[in-house]
Amino acid sequence: MSVVRKFMPEVRLKSLLGEPGGLTAQAALGRAADNLESIRETCLAAIDAKIELLTHAASVQSAENMKRIYRISNEVFAEAGAFELDELSAIAHSLCSLVVAAEHAKVPHAAIAVHVDAMRALRHAQVAPNKAARGAVLAGLRGLTARITKG
Amino acid sequence: MSAIDPNARINLSKAHVLLVDGSQHSVDVLAQIMKGFGVAEVQRCTSVDEAERCVRTKVYDLIVIDPNISDSAGYGFLNGLRHSGGAANAYTPVILVSGHACASDVSRARDTGANFFVTKPITPNVLLQRILWVARDKRPFVEVGNYVGPDRRFKFEGPPDGSDGRRESDLKSPLGNADEPNMSQSEIDTLMKPQRVAI
Repeated sequence: MSVVRKFMPEVRLKSLLGEPGGLTAQAALGRAADNLESIRETCLAAIDAKIELLTHAASVQSAENMKRIYRISNEVFAEAGAFELDELSAIAHSLCSLVVAAEHAKVPHAAIAVHVDAMRALRHAQVAPNKAARGAVLAGLRGLTARITKG
Repeated sequence: MSAIDPNARINLSKAHVLLVDGSQHSVDVLAQIMKGFGVAEVQRCTSVDEAERCVRTKVYDLIVIDPNISDSAGYGFLNGLRHSGGAANAYTPVILVSGHACASDVSRARDTGANFFVTKPITPNVLLQRILWVARDKRPFVEVGNYVGPDRRFKFEGPPDGSDGRRESDLKSPLGNADEPNMSQSEIDTLMKPQRVAI
């Protein structure tokens, strides 16, 4: 029989949080949002660079490139989502799922390429600020992916 | 997870936080949020090696790490931390933040000793909720077999309102009113008081 030891370690975080002073939760959330805004442009530029890396990785089919595509699209998913680029984040997540699915089943490479193309389209200067256009890109991608994976 | 009271006060002005993520920009996002919360010191690491050096030399009040950094080395980092024999950061609250995740990632996080598992994208609101939850968590730490970490069993408070529950022992219908009068105090005392019994 396993020996179980239970104990309550001291959690300093709890006592610190309750100390006098500090901020209201509302102020803390507001400051965090402002801080995020201060790095938005740098992060968006990094996302664009990552989409370029994805384009290169998707142009050559190999197991190594599939791992690379997964890692980079996972980063795009997280970073685009943090800056409320929801459609881009959704497509990056879908690409991650596609790469995972490709480990167990045949996934046409065209489905991967079309995801990367959709990401590029979403970051195009005429599409990025237009919610309706972004929605259309997302819907178009879903339709294309369904056709490619069925066929 | 309950919503945050906007007027509740939080003080992280003496807190030291370690952030570990393979992407420099993801770790920057976390750092900016933490600074907004008023955290005193934010240490950023983009590799597990770097994070291991940090926990050997400094005590942290919270660690936030992407477990999938460097081919899932984040799980190994957490496991090593929990098994570090009572070292300074062995019981530090750890929040795992993962990108694309599947159910096995959540199980693995639980079995490695994480306090909480959060999926990206991270927003300030979600992160603050999780920090407050972790700080107020009343679960004890458990050491059993190969596991060291917060008790993985949460308190069972019955099935959710409006559902019949899924366990054999869940009551399927309301209890209703008692069909006998309550016992008197003297009857209860009789049951509790030791009695001499002639054999």
